Amino acid sequence: MSSPQHLILHAPSCPSKTNICYFFYKNITFGFTLFWFEANASFSGQPAYNDWYMSCYNVFFTSLPVIALGVFDQDVSARLCLKHPLLYQEGVQNILFSWIRILGWMFNGVLSSIIIFFLTTNLIIGQAFRKDGQVADYAVLGVTMYTCVVWTVNCQMALSINYFTWIQHLFIWGSIALWYIFLVVYGYIPPTLSTTAYKVFVEACAPSIVYWLTTLLVVIATLLPLFSYRAFQIRFRPMEHDKIQRQRSEGSEHDKIQGRRAEGSEHNKIRGRRSEGSEHDVTESTGTRNSTDLPSEIRIRIDNLKAGPRSKNA
Amino acid sequence: MSSNTPSSSAGGVGSADAAAPRRNSKRPKYSKFTQQELPACKPILTPRWVISAFLLVSIVFIPIGVVSLFASRDVVEIIDRYETACVPQNFSNDKVSFIQSAVDKTCNRTLTVKKLMKQPIYVYYQLDNFYQNHRRYVKSRSDSQLKDNSSWNDVSSCKPEDMSNDQPIVPCGLIAWSLFNDTYNFSLNNQQLAVNKKDISWKSDRDKKFGKDVFPKNFQNGTLIGGNRLDPSVPLSEQEDLIVWMRTAALPTFRKLYGKIERDLQPNEVIQVTLLNNYNTYSFNGKKKLVLSTTSWLGGKNDFLGIAYLTVGGLCFFLALSFTVVYLVKPRQLGDPSYLSWNRNPAGH
Repeated sequence: MSSPQHLILHAPSCPSKTNICYFFYKNITFGFTLFWFEANASFSGQPAYNDWYMSCYNVFFTSLPVIALGVFDQDVSARLCLKHPLLYQEGVQNILFSWIRILGWMFNGVLSSIIIFFLTTNLIIGQAFRKDGQVADYAVLGVTMYTCVVWTVNCQMALSINYFTWIQHLFIWGSIALWYIFLVVYGYIPPTLSTTAYKVFVEACAPSIVYWLTTLLVVIATLLPLFSYRAFQIRFRPMEHDKIQRQRSEGSEHDKIQGRRAEGSEHNKIRGRRSEGSEHDVTESTGTRNSTDLPSEIRIRIDNLKAGPRSKNA
Repeated sequence: MSSNTPSSSAGGVGSADAAAPRRNSKRPKYSKFTQQELPACKPILTPRWVISAFLLVSIVFIPIGVVSLFASRDVVEIIDRYETACVPQNFSNDKVSFIQSAVDKTCNRTLTVKKLMKQPIYVYYQLDNFYQNHRRYVKSRSDSQLKDNSSWNDVSSCKPEDMSNDQPIVPCGLIAWSLFNDTYNFSLNNQQLAVNKKDISWKSDRDKKFGKDVFPKNFQNGTLIGGNRLDPSVPLSEQEDLIVWMRTAALPTFRKLYGKIERDLQPNEVIQVTLLNNYNTYSFNGKKKLVLSTTSWLGGKNDFLGIAYLTVGGLCFFLALSFTVVYLVKPRQLGDPSYLSWNRNPAGH
């Protein structure tokens, strides 16, 4: 029987399910801001944003983090997945893809769009938004709202990610930076092609302090609901993989098969090496914690379960 | 210990001297990237992080809110709504016919300065219920015609205001046709207050979107006059009122810059405004307001910014406190693996 390490390990939480919820979320956020704008444009069909902004939304500014989430995210490491195979029940029982979760993400999307639209229109529109007395027009509102949408959906993604490698950082912050770069470059294209976006960022938005303050406020305000919910949920209604993550971070994830407590130093060694990316505990573990032991670990655990409730010795 | 050992040791022995011939192994080249073992940080929302995050936000936001409110309080704004008051008594029931008639539209208004207003003081006109963001309105212009004299004929996107008497209109389109035409004259102690109408539009518009060699032609020549007339001897790049008007507004209530007054106004000074109430907002129940405003480093009078920041900052502070209380009141035994559901319920799932 080959070592489990030679198998392709499928993460129990199946990040693609979070991906789908997130995909709904970001398009709902984007689409509903368009809708609220329509309500203020007598539903004439005037889009809130320049055509090119809208075309590039799903392709450039919000797609890479989703791919990174799907490919690279791990809520618990491979080793812990193998150690706690019952984590896979989360997927089998469809906990992560239930209607409640989908509706929750959709609700989050609608809420985000309301916050974005309400705050940007009240902050930017009406009085002068710059020291030189200029007022915000259709182009400036479009840029401001779109900036807020791009920041918001990417930051919500950052909150949902369990596993931050340099790739995730690059994709998330890179997507946001890409939006600004795009604005500048597109703004320099002659107005026959760029129409309302001509120099709108460098001339109108960037020198305006209110524009930047609006972005900051809107992003934090849209993150608050999800952040509070996650903080509450992890603390008081944690899901199984949340509990495993907490154990891992608090250092109580250690060998309990023989009823012994692992040495603190051995455990730290294991954790330290894991964070450096080393794959196996095989060669240096002094105890019985050995990747080749895992099948028997499961056997022993089942025996322990049959034996009755274990004593608490954290 | 397990059955793995023999195979791995055999593999170990075998691989040492069989590395070259075993080229057809399907094992992928090991790298941290392909085995998904990149160094990573795995953040978890522990109580410490949650409370710190909320506190950080409130510490940053509350001062910003306070500073913004102070800046907004420094701004002095005078708003005068005049579209109803400027209709003479005998026309008060039929404002539309008043505005379409040739009756003298002069109206005298009085504005009192409450606080010191430092120059430059910006003069705006504000319209309500005017949908400059309607799709057909926004579409009805010809950017190529505005930019370039050689495209004077390019009026296809300007319907219905594209031709008049079989000649193309320059500038064509509904936006230009509906150009705002109320005028304001300010005097203080019987002395004229000059209003600087230069540089009220965006520089990029003046330089690149409205040509220096494009002159109004055949403009407002039809049966239905929608707004202001344009001086045919002034090129479009200098027609700043037109440029400001053609930068369409985002929402149905909007202000547009009319000019700047470049002297200070002292408190309790009384400004006489002689305005010409030409523009027809009565057909669609629109409102017209005249606004005089100073600006601060933030812009115009924007209490909402300060209040919003204070609200979010205060909310975060409140959340930090509540989470602290909850974590203290209900401390949870942390990291105990017996809380895992399969450990809690050993007999079944």
